[in-house]
Amino acid sequence: MNSFATRFDSHHHDDDQSDAAWGSQAGFGNLGDGSHAFNVPAVPDPTAFLRLHTDDHADPNCRIKIQHGTTTLAFRFQGGVIVAVDSRATAGSYVASGTVKKVIEINPYLLGTMAGGAADCQYWETYLGIQCRLHELRNRERISVAAASKYLSNLVYSYKGMGLSMGTMICGWDKTGPAVFYVDSDGTRLKGDMFSVGSGSTFAYGVLDQGYRWDLTDEEAQELGRRSIYAAGHRDAFSGNTCNLYHVKEDGWKFIGNYDISKMHYEGPGDVPGAPGGGYGYDVRTKGRFSVLETEVVA
Amino acid sequence: MDHFPTNWGRPRNDAFDHYNTYPIPVRPQNNAFADSVQRTQQPIVTGTSVLGLKYKDGIMIASDTLASYGSLARFKDIKRLHQVGDFTAIGASGDMSDFQALQRDLESLIISEEVTEQDGHKLGPKEIHEYLSNVLYGKRCKMDPLWNSVIVGGFKDGERFLAYVDLLGTTYTSSTIATGYGAYIAQPLLRKAVEGKEDVLTEAEARKILEDCLRVLFYRDARSLDKYQIATVNASGPSISDSIKLETSWGFAEGIRGYGAQTQ
Amino acid sequence: MPSMEHVAHPQQRAFNPYTENGGTILAIAGADFTVIAGDTRQSEGYSIQTRYAPKVFRLTDRAVLAVNGFAADGNMFVKKVKQRLEWYRHAHAKDMPLRAIARLIQTMLYAQRFFPYYVYNILGGIEDDGTGAVYSFDPVGSYEREACRAAGAAQSLVQPFLDNQIYFKNQQAAPGQTHPSHLPLPDVLSIVIDSFTSATERHIEVGDGLEMYIVLAKGRNTQGMESLHGVQELSSKLDGERVFVVRRELKKD
Repeated sequence: MNSFATRFDSHHHDDDQSDAAWGSQAGFGNLGDGSHAFNVPAVPDPTAFLRLHTDDHADPNCRIKIQHGTTTLAFRFQGGVIVAVDSRATAGSYVASGTVKKVIEINPYLLGTMAGGAADCQYWETYLGIQCRLHELRNRERISVAAASKYLSNLVYSYKGMGLSMGTMICGWDKTGPAVFYVDSDGTRLKGDMFSVGSGSTFAYGVLDQGYRWDLTDEEAQELGRRSIYAAGHRDAFSGNTCNLYHVKEDGWKFIGNYDISKMHYEGPGDVPGAPGGGYGYDVRTKGRFSVLETEVVA
Repeated sequence: MDHFPTNWGRPRNDAFDHYNTYPIPVRPQNNAFADSVQRTQQPIVTGTSVLGLKYKDGIMIASDTLASYGSLARFKDIKRLHQVGDFTAIGASGDMSDFQALQRDLESLIISEEVTEQDGHKLGPKEIHEYLSNVLYGKRCKMDPLWNSVIVGGFKDGERFLAYVDLLGTTYTSSTIATGYGAYIAQPLLRKAVEGKEDVLTEAEARKILEDCLRVLFYRDARSLDKYQIATVNASGPSISDSIKLETSWGFAEGIRGYGAQTQ
Repeated sequence: MPSMEHVAHPQQRAFNPYTENGGTILAIAGADFTVIAGDTRQSEGYSIQTRYAPKVFRLTDRAVLAVNGFAADGNMFVKKVKQRLEWYRHAHAKDMPLRAIARLIQTMLYAQRFFPYYVYNILGGIEDDGTGAVYSFDPVGSYEREACRAAGAAQSLVQPFLDNQIYFKNQQAAPGQTHPSHLPLPDVLSIVIDSFTSATERHIEVGDGLEMYIVLAKGRNTQGMESLHGVQELSSKLDGERVFVVRRELKKD
């Protein structure tokens, strides 16, 4: 086995079924002591092994399909942070789920988003939640968004090359005000005002960029988030189903709502603050203007 | 970050990633010395099908006695059936060296569990099968498989037991089991003859069914032999026969185009 | 332009540690019950290995786990989950709550992130608040609570049917009426049986037998189960949540 894989090989740790797995630690038996015991296949190149057996668009016959997340966005503005995501998970071309929670509630002041491997995001952001709580207990104050995101980026960096896949935004409010950090499994960590991650991100950016101002009102900002996810869900095959919207303010995050993307197309998001009324689809705007068929029917 | 979702969840293709500097340079590509432990990567000397069935008084397992080296009929009197403890017989197809290692392992298990301990507990077929499953699954997890398909049969406490385990640790029980080529050729015949009649078939009838299956296999499986053994396990324990010559007749081939001597 | 030469990689070993053993599993949550079901065929390639290999397992009086994919991994995984639940029982003198079992399963699956269990898990049962719940997992542990889920060989046949019948997807409610948020037990049982008979017709890896587990919330009577014959109760006590199993034949061709 190569030296790189050896670092993650459970044989070099204490047996992970030892006392740590007992009783109240049973849920997080392999997290409790902070050392992770991952089993790594005993092959010369474990990364190639994982690549061979997990799904690949070049080889749809790969057996183990891992669920993937898709369009997520977050932006900072005068009134806090808006976090909006879609809810579709795909395994290959199969829509594995249309009801995924892609916003992970790390604690009442921190949100993480999920794009990439669903399990990687869920697991490590849960783990981040544990570390953030420990930070609070040790330091008698909440962890900053910068520190929390750095914790995550350092962690995934230590697994670099092993096949983790996460593209996440750590969003929250700390002493410095609203903050958004982009962290991915390559180890990249970026502070910024606006990010969108996933295959639908280009569509979301298009809408975000034309509607974004720092002094957006809360209602306008929420509508921009919704409208951007709608655009991605509408144009990107890997995104869709519903949009989940969160707003982070000084007193923590708040769940704003869940919106059906098809419904937004035809009828709009419903009676919510900031919505213009009517559907987002362009056929609403073109109705009766040019359609030859429509006039024929009337005649 | 690769934003195309079907590329996610998998290690990136490092061969073409010229900007990813870590950990590619530090990874030894193929260190023959660090990785020189011998493992069965492919079977070498192999046995073909093993058949097993339930009958009225117990179970029966049959296999031929050939161990092939590729297409060469290398060893023609190899015992592929084996008694384990007082209630169990096993039969294996696949790599014969791995099977012999298993036999030694089971032998030492019986010695430590029954001879040394003397605690009044005896290993029955269920326990042997569970043990074998754990050994074979454990080896597959180490990517160091024992390249066998094993049938475990036994009779203990008035109960028949017939089960399968293979190199991946896959297990199941059934009233008829056939490994290897026999899964295609013999299993349909066995099911037709046995299913629903497990509590009626006599020892002689069961033996006849297995012989018929072995005969068909000998006709069609190029890695088989007309010499076989049958293990019977019933209330009086396991007994494994000596090698028996299979009675074959090629007379049916006369007149059938494609068999026998060609006339046109 | 970077050169496209191949870096010399060692030959991947011929041994493939995975296989696929077919079959399908399914779970539907009601307001105060959950039904978890699976067929009993185990196959490899085009061969049926056995017509009876259980894929659904009672964990506690209020939790049932269905596993599908690679049978050896599935059986080992169930064995390890049961072991952890027993340790929990010894340490706390009670059964682990359903949501905790779900999280336990996530961490156990994720521990194998780099050598995954090739297993799709569906956990069904009764939550502490008395509601029916279904949790579905991917092979490396991402999970979600849902009202219904199908997994395995025929998931792409069964899940759309469930979306239509349970979530009323693409159905318009009659004027002045709304779709019910939870279906009654007899309806759910019929949907489960129909799902499997239909999957048996259209998928070669599904069939032989159907094993249905029914978990009832504490205090709920067995109303809705009268029409079922051959129901077997598996509960360890009568005054808590109750678990039942029903077996049905499916076509064997």
